[in-house]
Amino acid sequence: MTTSGISRRSALRMFGIGALGVAGAGTLAACAPSGGSSSSNGGDTKAKDFAFTSWSLNEEAAKPAVEKIIAAWEKAEKSKIRTVSYPYNEYLSQLTLKLGGGETTGAVQLDIAWLGAVAQMGKLADLSAAAKKGGYTDVGVKSGVYDGVQYGLPWTTGSIGLIANSKLLEKAGITEHPKTTEEFEAALRELKGLGGGVVPYAAATKVAQLKDIFPWMQTFGCTLLDGDKVTIGDDASVDAVTWYKKLHDAKLIAADVDRFDARALFGQGKAAFYDDAIIGKGATAAQSKDKTLADAMQPVTRPVLTSGDTPRALLWGHVIAVAKGEGQEAATEFALHATSDRATTVEYFETLALPPATTQGLADPKVKDDAFTTAWTEQITKTATGSPFWQFAQNAQIEEAVAKQVQAVLVGGAKPKDAMKQAGKEVADLIKR
Amino acid sequence: MTTTTTTPLPRDEKAAPMAMTTPRPARRRLRKDLVRSRIAAWSAVLVIGALGMLPVYWLLVTALSTPGQAFQFPPKLIPTEITFSNFSALAENDQLFTYLVNSMIVATITAVLSVVVATYMGYSFSKFRYRGRRSLMHLVLASQMFPQALLLVTLYTVFSSFGLLNTYTALVLSFTTFTMPLCVWMLKGIFDTIPDALLEAASIDGASRWRTLHSIVAPLAAPGMIAAGLFAFVRGWNDFIFALTLADKEKQTLPPGLVSTYIGEFQTAWPELMAASLVVSVPVVVAFMFLQRYLVGGMTAGSVKS
Repeated sequence: MTTSGISRRSALRMFGIGALGVAGAGTLAACAPSGGSSSSNGGDTKAKDFAFTSWSLNEEAAKPAVEKIIAAWEKAEKSKIRTVSYPYNEYLSQLTLKLGGGETTGAVQLDIAWLGAVAQMGKLADLSAAAKKGGYTDVGVKSGVYDGVQYGLPWTTGSIGLIANSKLLEKAGITEHPKTTEEFEAALRELKGLGGGVVPYAAATKVAQLKDIFPWMQTFGCTLLDGDKVTIGDDASVDAVTWYKKLHDAKLIAADVDRFDARALFGQGKAAFYDDAIIGKGATAAQSKDKTLADAMQPVTRPVLTSGDTPRALLWGHVIAVAKGEGQEAATEFALHATSDRATTVEYFETLALPPATTQGLADPKVKDDAFTTAWTEQITKTATGSPFWQFAQNAQIEEAVAKQVQAVLVGGAKPKDAMKQAGKEVADLIKR
Repeated sequence: MTTTTTTPLPRDEKAAPMAMTTPRPARRRLRKDLVRSRIAAWSAVLVIGALGMLPVYWLLVTALSTPGQAFQFPPKLIPTEITFSNFSALAENDQLFTYLVNSMIVATITAVLSVVVATYMGYSFSKFRYRGRRSLMHLVLASQMFPQALLLVTLYTVFSSFGLLNTYTALVLSFTTFTMPLCVWMLKGIFDTIPDALLEAASIDGASRWRTLHSIVAPLAAPGMIAAGLFAFVRGWNDFIFALTLADKEKQTLPPGLVSTYIGEFQTAWPELMAASLVVSVPVVVAFMFLQRYLVGGMTAGSVKS
């Protein structure tokens, strides 16, 4: 009978074997194709056939519209587009791995928040020349720029802003949208007076979505990042979180709410304001029993601290980038066509309510006549800015670090000043990595 | 367990000393204690059982809900209206059937491969003494010590260089990487319980080592092999990240397939996702129901030796 006890000798042997395993794994990885270190993924850049990687090809609502664009291109150009898709939540990690491994080529759909992380890999082509031909809006063009280089052509450009239920506002006697944070707070108190379990503002209070605090911090004057210096922890950020906590304690915002909960509350007529992307209107209205809710939804310019301040909103959108290598030229032409051809972008808008990123597209009657989209573009997207943390590959961890500290404040586990100081320190540490 | 018996006292002995009458209240107290402990035990079982079954119940309720009900806030434990449309919608999605077939193929091959290889390895570790045996055993165990994410990147680059990406082979090999060590150690434990005398007797009767393993040892270790196979099957069936990374849509299995189909950028189709999850878990549940006694037996077989 053998004994199963592990002696010092055995432990050392295991350690040696473990080290050998790591070395073996490293050797195997080293034997892998050199795609990871090259800036191009190889192949004929002039090839007519190319790949298109897109999460929209997975999504029930978007898939037919994207497939239609692809089919039209294939027919017109007599070429073949190989489609690749990953779920949205796994998209960035899968793309990073496969772009680095040399498997991903051609056109690539990107969330504008990911552009910095992907561009840093050095695998994306410079699309500056193509961008000049597109007739994109200024804000659209900026959404595809990283480190001064145009890596993405804007497919749709919007923002994450406040949406109001006009029926509830009317019921509470609020005739005008609040302009300042003070007016906003007063409006929330009026709405609270309606009773019936109404949450005046279904703001994010769960860690998963507490990144929504950033525009409020900016509203209170915090820049988040000043050059290389993290400014979270300054007086403005502390004021913003103190105010958020005040709303929470006064039950003007509810505990444990994320985007899905907020949509559910809003859909049931139990929330007067909530934050969402422009496309959220469709999702919220679709799950509501009240079929007139869509008409009652209004975009609201985020209240400012002092009259005359610039309203803050987080830029949101999709771009199409192109990987260097196989089919690069055709993929660039396709990206330009999909994002700037008037008929294509307007039809895309009609199907998915995703606003075009071109001036011509926005001016098209089919888009302009949509009051919600036009109002959103003029009132919210116009002054929206990207997050300064998008340029870092650790963006998700940064958002989580801040969110956890804000939540600690909301549940009474930390004071705003201490929590923001700690959040700023954690963000600075993450950036240094 | 002990039982207490008492003889009834005659009427005229009612005035007997106190000590003679104590068995009745003591018995009553004993019975009360027994009832109390039973109630406590059943309450604990019910609470723990309810906690365990609540997610399954919630899965069922959501699968039978309309989108409006599923997103009701606060959520309701008992649905007010029931719909089967989420189940009927599954039949219209051909891609789900492809994912299901892929899962069956990949999980079955993983289970068979894991058991076959682990049987030989486990038998070798258990019944033979050779140089490097213990080191090899520890090497097998060491492969479990790496984080999956680390192995994913390595395996991805290796499969890519060998042109194996987007194939069943890549999925089976990667799943087997994780199932093998536990299968080997499980089966080694089971082989350890088989007396060496049995092997010696077979040898005296003229059986070769090959024959001894296949005709004598393997049938005795069958419950353990079934347990190891079931473990490997479930592991292969449930994997998400390897199936998503190493296979394309045509070869992907159910976990990444369901996520791709129902979880989007803006919306998650929870009722449909839950209905699909319920339906696709049926094969595993059925397999588990039939083979669970082997799983439990196989897991513990090597723990006690005679």
